[in-house]
This record gives sequence, C-alpha cells and structure tokens, in this order.
Amino acid sequence: MRERLRFLDTGLLLPMVVLVLMGTLTVYSAGRGTSQSTLWLKQALWNLLGFLAMLAVAAPNPARTFRSAFPLYLLGILSLVAVLTLGHSIGGAQRWLVIGKLTWQPSELMKWLTLLFVSHRLGTRQLKEVTAWDLVRASTLVIFPMLLVLKQPDLGMAISFLPILLLVPLMKGLRAKWVALALAGVALLGAFSWQKVLKPYQKQRVMTFLDPGADLQGKGYQINQSRIAIGAGGFFGQGFTSGSQTQLNFLPVKTTDFVFSVWAEERGFLGVLLALALFGAVITRILDTARVAKTAAETYFCVGAAGIIALHLLVNVGMVIGLLPNKGIVLPFFSAGGSSTLSYFLGLGVVMAVRYRAKMK
Amino acid sequence: MEIPSRSLLQKRIGVMKTLAWFMILWLVLAYAQVQLWRGREMQKLALAQAVKTRTTPAPRGIIFDRNTNKLVDNRRALHLVIQYEDLPRDPQQIAGLAAALQTDPDQLKRRIQAIRLAAGNRMLVLQDNLDDASVARAEVLRARFPFLSIEVAPRRVYLGEDLAGHALGYVGEVTPEEMQKLPGQFQLGEIIGRTGFEASRNDRLKGVDGQRRILVDYLGREVATYGMQEARPGRSVYLTLDAGLQTTLKEAFGGNSGAGVVLDLRDGGVLALYSSPSYDPNVFLNRLTQEQVKQYWDNPDRPMLNRVTQGRYPPGSTFKLLVALAALEKGIITPSTTFTCNGHKNFYGRDFRCDASHGTLNLVQAIAMSCDIYFYELGARLDVDDIYNTAKKYGLTEATGIDLPHEAVSRVPSREWKRRVKKEKWYAGETISVAIGQGANSLTPIALARFYAMIATHGKLLTPHLLYGVRQDNSSEIDLFQPPPARETGLDPGIWSTLDEGLYQVVHSGTARESAMPGVTIAGKTGTSQLTAFVDKAHYAGLSKKLRDNALFAGYAPRENPQIAFAVVAENAGFGAASAAPIVKKLCQYWFIDRIKKPLPPPGAKLPDAFRLDPDLAAGEGQVP
Repeated sequence: MRERLRFLDTGLLLPMVVLVLMGTLTVYSAGRGTSQSTLWLKQALWNLLGFLAMLAVAAPNPARTFRSAFPLYLLGILSLVAVLTLGHSIGGAQRWLVIGKLTWQPSELMKWLTLLFVSHRLGTRQLKEVTAWDLVRASTLVIFPMLLVLKQPDLGMAISFLPILLLVPLMKGLRAKWVALALAGVALLGAFSWQKVLKPYQKQRVMTFLDPGADLQGKGYQINQSRIAIGAGGFFGQGFTSGSQTQLNFLPVKTTDFVFSVWAEERGFLGVLLALALFGAVITRILDTARVAKTAAETYFCVGAAGIIALHLLVNVGMVIGLLPNKGIVLPFFSAGGSSTLSYFLGLGVVMAVRYRAKMK
Repeated sequence: MEIPSRSLLQKRIGVMKTLAWFMILWLVLAYAQVQLWRGREMQKLALAQAVKTRTTPAPRGIIFDRNTNKLVDNRRALHLVIQYEDLPRDPQQIAGLAAALQTDPDQLKRRIQAIRLAAGNRMLVLQDNLDDASVARAEVLRARFPFLSIEVAPRRVYLGEDLAGHALGYVGEVTPEEMQKLPGQFQLGEIIGRTGFEASRNDRLKGVDGQRRILVDYLGREVATYGMQEARPGRSVYLTLDAGLQTTLKEAFGGNSGAGVVLDLRDGGVLALYSSPSYDPNVFLNRLTQEQVKQYWDNPDRPMLNRVTQGRYPPGSTFKLLVALAALEKGIITPSTTFTCNGHKNFYGRDFRCDASHGTLNLVQAIAMSCDIYFYELGARLDVDDIYNTAKKYGLTEATGIDLPHEAVSRVPSREWKRRVKKEKWYAGETISVAIGQGANSLTPIALARFYAMIATHGKLLTPHLLYGVRQDNSSEIDLFQPPPARETGLDPGIWSTLDEGLYQVVHSGTARESAMPGVTIAGKTGTSQLTAFVDKAHYAGLSKKLRDNALFAGYAPRENPQIAFAVVAENAGFGAASAAPIVKKLCQYWFIDRIKKPLPPPGAKLPDAFRLDPDLAAGEGQVP
C-alpha cells in the first residue's frame, strides 16, 4: 500500500484532494436539516473508495490498462444496454442499475472506458499514419455509447462524451474544413436529437436558457434561485452553513447539480476564485502529463481526460450562473454521487500512471 | 496532407492549456459580475424571499357592564387566508381556487387585486372562524394551493347574545365605501365596529396591530421569528349598563315589540337599553345567509332598528308635561288653574273627546287622570310655536347625544316646520291635537327619557351615554369617562314640584295606580298613541295588531330622591297604563329591591362602586341584609 503511494502524482493529487474536501463540506452544508443530512458521510466514503481505486490503477506501467481497453469497452456497452433494459428509473429517466443497496450509473464510468478504448485504438498506429477514416471510425466508437445514453435519456451525460472528440483537432489541427465538418455533424446530431430523442422537459430546458426571465416560478426558477444564491455570496460569502438560499431550500438540487451555488453563496467570490484556480491546476497538470507521455495512446487519454474535466467545469459552473442551459451535469469532486466520484478517481489514476512512467524513463 | 509531428502535438496541447485558462477567466468574470457588481441586489432578492412581515391583528377591547360582568369577549379563531406576498397571479390558479371554494372567480380576482394594491401587506381572508371540519378541509386545500395558509386571529364573542344587541352592535371588515368616505382612516381588511357601541367607540376599542418578521423556507413555511412588535390589544371598556337590569328589561318585553331605556340621574349613564325584537350580534360576524338577510333586514318587525334611539313614536299623553310646562312658563295658567271636563268639547268647530267626564280639575289632577280636555284647553290658548320653543328649550328638538350611531332626532311641529316640509300653513286646530301628544309629534324613547330625567332633576339636561370608563394599560384602574356637564335649564322650583306632584299622583291615584308598588314611589306619565282613529271598542278589537295603539310610560323613581329615569314603549299593546307601566314596575322591583337582596356575584376586578341604593331607602325597606 505504502509502496503504491509513490506512483501517485502529488502535483495532481494535491489540488484534487483540496477540491474533494471542499466538495464534501459543501455537501454537508447543503444537506443540513434535509433528508440528505448524512449524504456528506456517504460522499466521504466514496472519496475514500475512489482514492483506493486510484491507487489500484496508478501502476508503474499503464500499458496493461490500455491492453484491456477493448473488453472493458464492451463491458461498458453491455452495462448501458442493461440500463436500458433492466435499469432503475427515477423521474422518467432510466439511468441507474440497482445492485443490492448500491445504485450505480454506468454511463459515468463508460465515459472513461470509451476514452481509454479510443485512445488505445488511435495510439496503435503511428501518428502520421492516422487517416481521416480512422478518425471517423474512432468517432463512431464515441457516438454509439452517446446514443445509448441519450436514449435513457440523459442529455448532460451524452454531452460529456463530446470532449473525447477533441482528439480529432488534436490529430488534424484546427483546419477550416474539419471545423466545418464537425459543426455540420453537431448540427445534424442536434436537429436529429430535437426531433427524435429529446424529451419535452429537455426541450424546455433549452427554451428556458434562451429566455430565462419568461417564467420565474416555473422553468427558470432553478437558475434564478441559483443566481440569487451566488450573488448573495458577495465577496466573502455568507459563511459556512449560513447561506439563506441554501439553508431555506430555495436552491434546488443543491447536493449535485447546484452544489457549486452553495459553495459560491457560503464562501463568496473568494471561494469561487480558489475553486476555479484548483480546477485550472488540475487541468494544467493533466495537459502537462499529456505532453510528457511516453506513447501516443497515453497522450490522447490525458488530453481527453483534461477535456472531460474542463467540459464539466464549464457546463456546470456556467450553468448554475445562467451562462449555459440548465443541463443537469455534475461538477467533478464537488457533486455528491458514487458513480462519478469513483470514475474520476479511476480516470485520473490512469493519468498518474502515465506521469509516473514518463518521469521514470 | 501535412502530418503533425510530435512537436506540433506539443504545440496543440499548449493551445488547449491556454484555452482552458481563458475558459476559467471567462467563468471568473461571470462570477465577479454576479457576486461583486450585482451582489447587493442579489442579497436583497435573497432576503426578500426569505424574510416576511406578518401582521398580528390586535384583539379589540373587552366590554364589561358597570359591575365587571363580561358582555363581549375575544377568542382565538382560525382563518383560511392568503398572505400578502403569496397572493397568486396565475389566472388558472385563481380559477382553480375559486372552484374549490365555490365562489365567483371574478370576485376572487378582484379581491386579490384590491389587497395587492392596498398598503400594509394585509392578508386576504378567504374563510373565517373555521371549525374542526373546515380546518381539515382547509388543510386539504393547502396541499393543492400552497399559497394558502391558516392564521390565528382574535374573534368577537357576544356573551349575552341578544341581551343588548342594539347597544353593543357588532364588528365587521371595513367596506371599500367606508374607506372612500373617510380616506386614511382605515386599512383594507381592518375589523371595525359596524354599528352600536362597537361603532361609536371604535377608537377606544381597537388596538394596534403587531408586526412579526419571520424567516420562511421555499414553501413559505415559518422557520424562525426575529424582530417582533407585539400587537397592543384594545383597552377594556366598561359600560354604564347593568346586566341585571338589562335582563329584567328584556324579559319584561317577553318578545313583544317595543323599546325601553333607563338612565342614571347622576350623570346620564344608560343603565339599560333594549329594543325589541333584538338581535344576536354573533350572527353578523359571518356572512349572512339569504335566509338570515330576510330574517334580519327584510323583516317587517325591523329587528335591526334600534327603537330606543332611532324609533320615533307619537308620544301620546307623555307629551302633556311639556304642554303644561309651556303653559306655566307663558303664564297662561298657574298650578291652581282649573278647567272642567264634560267628556268632550268643541274647538274650532270640531268635537274633541276625552276618555271620561272628569269634572273640574287643576293641573295636578289633570296630569294624574290624563284628562285630554284640560290640555285641549291649554292647546287652545297656546300657539304651536310656544310648544315648539318650550320643547326646544328643554332639549326635545335635538339629538340627545347618546354614544350610539345614527341617532334619530325627535320632531315637535312648528309653523316653520309645516311650511318647510308640508308646504302648508299651520291651522290652529292642529295645536289642539299636538297638546295631547298626537298629530305630527314624534319622539324617540331616549329623548323622552331625557325629558323626564330633566323633570326629576329639576331642570338638568343630561347627555345619555353608554361609556362608563376605560381600563388603563397594565393596571386595574379605570379612567372614568367624563360626560358633558348637564345643561341647567333653570325654572321656578314651584313649577317643578307641581309637575312632580302630578307625576306622583299618576301612579298613586291616577291612570297607573295599579303599578304602584310598596317601598318605591314611582313618578311617571302614561301615554297611548293612536295609530288609527278610535271609533268604538268593537272596532278597536277588530283592528289588526299592527294598528293597535302604542303604550308608553315615562318617568322617574324614587320620587323622594330620584335616581333613575325611564321611558318605555310597548308597540301595539294598547293602553299605556296597562302594558308599559308594568314593565317599569318590574324594572323598579329589580333595581330597588331584588338587586339589593340578591347582589350580583362579586366583581372580578376592583371597581369603584358604581351604583348603590340610597341608604335611607334601603333602611326603610328593612329587608336589606
């Protein structure tokens, strides 16, 4: 155990641990006096479990992990199919597998498994040998699980698969024709989704984003309350467990999607700066790891990992303040939830293994 | 196609890093805008939805009689309301609520709008005084309409029910018309006295509403209270009424229509005031049903009319005292002047009749026997304006000033009055009728009582009043009400004693001698006012009850040392001596004898002794413990 600790990357671990501590405290404050008053304990336990899982994958050589990428990907696809057939449904969405007392959301881990497999596939060839056809095939590997997730339906989660496609410009550069192709693809997918896949409540969310003031008690209510909470935080914040928006439940889904509003209300702009700086440090460290990685597959994986975290940061933190539509997407390290916590620790464990090997040789 | 080299990959990762930090910078700026630039504004919004001000309605003052018997109390009642800040805007919601409450949606919308536009964050009361079953129903409604809430507010209870309905009156929500008439005086939704004492002394009875600042959660549920200004209840008020005498008066009427009032001769305090049929003020705290509207407002017996202060009756023979006064003052007669009664006499070519052939009488005998001929003679010698001017001098042409709303003013005719109202000149023959209290005369019982109180006090014009005193805050002491000082009319004492002797003889040997009672010397005058012409006894017996004579009795007691004055009207009851005088006898029996023998239960609060029987009289009675 102690032996394995040295495989960990302190430069990545430190900001992670601070963010996780901040997140758990926020979940504590948000859950006070509600049915979720012990959720923070569960979250702390998941964090601990995640840390152990990270130790398990942070091996001296990540090659073994990459070799098992295909069976893992297949397993992931199977789990998504299982969700659609046997899954547990809450509020009209079928996203969870219930195993005993455990509620598992397979799509969280599937993001990382997809990234692992796509990186592995693209990395087996020399960079200069990668053709456009390869990229199209790789994109299919991403889009297939995305469609399964959209079917649940879970638009936020489907969107969080998108950063894996960042690998395309990484390969080919930001050429005009590629950008045009990508935009056309997104537009087509969007139009298709609007017609066939999106549920009315999801369409409503988009409409709310386009006109949030239209109905403050209805669709725009969550965003409006969240903005009030964030603004009321001011520079120094209302103080730990003292935010009126949080404590009086004006703030909705405050332990998951809107957990950052709690942080912003109680810790103020100062707390927001700290959290964003730490996220910046995490992303920078992962991208630095991508640069020093020994193999192309490892580089791709790190870039994808940074993309996933950056996207979640952007969409969640931007959503709670009304910059982006209300998507129902979690904030890494902050939002309560076992599946996502464990998945982030696992994914970043792989990044740490990449760094360790790069440092050694 | 250019194939990216390792270094190109490095460069692209570098670009991504820069992009990531730009993204973070963008977020920082967005948060700075909301948290720093608009922080204050957002804090205000957060406070506005979490901190609410609730009005705590102040209970009105409790009303006691002069012996601290509680007449009107408050109790806590539950009301289904919408708090000001929860007033719904969604027309669908309002329609749904109206359907659930079975009310008119447009009316509900208007009420919501009125409350919203009014100052003072008042709540909208949808249903008041919920009983257990209604509370359960209201809770079910609350689940569907979360903006509803159930509030505790004080509610009036009239303990005596219909004992003193007209004296006390009742309360109700201020109407928009009243608010328009007296701008700035009332707040929307305020509970004010609608009629009776509750209305006339509303200022003394009403308290000051309290304010409570509370913290509510997202469902509007109260989480904590901070900042509270207690409601200041209205002060307890003591009335001059005596519950025992009031009960005696009410029972004496036994359901027949009429009016009775008893005045305290020391200061004009009203000891009893009853108008029959009476009403129970508790009924009017709720919205009346159609049946109740019919029963109270569209009833030919007019139960809502306070006959004591608003009912005007031809005074009949009770008016003769005023005519006597006018004649004595003008020097037309002296107390010893006599006239002869043959049962009828011709004046101005018309035959006027008397009940009997009384023979030769002086003034005292004429009053005692209520001889019409004697007063016709006075009428023939007096001008109607002489009578009017005397009435004016002795307060019969003005409002008595009793502290009850909408007092009617008695009417004594004059030449000017007839010209103005009837557009005709006065005929001397009419004065003959006026002299015996018929014709265009009409007096309120309260004015009649005040007139006889003036005779009893040898010329003092008192102001009748119901307010005895107001209890001080935080003390059992009472600030006694100072009624306006009695107006001295000033007259030769000899005249008073003549009138007094006449009134004594009425009960001692005259028309009301059957109402004489041992121990108490009553002085008073009977009166019978005809509602239709008297033809003969058979015709009278065949008249419908509505057309039968009103019986009156007015006077004071005890004669030796007058303490109370009274006026009683028994409608459609026949002769005054037969039906009104016995009511007075019952009043005196209670006030001077039974009350002393069976004193009221000890008072609940320390009070200066309100009214005690004269010790000499009590000793003479020999039955006082």
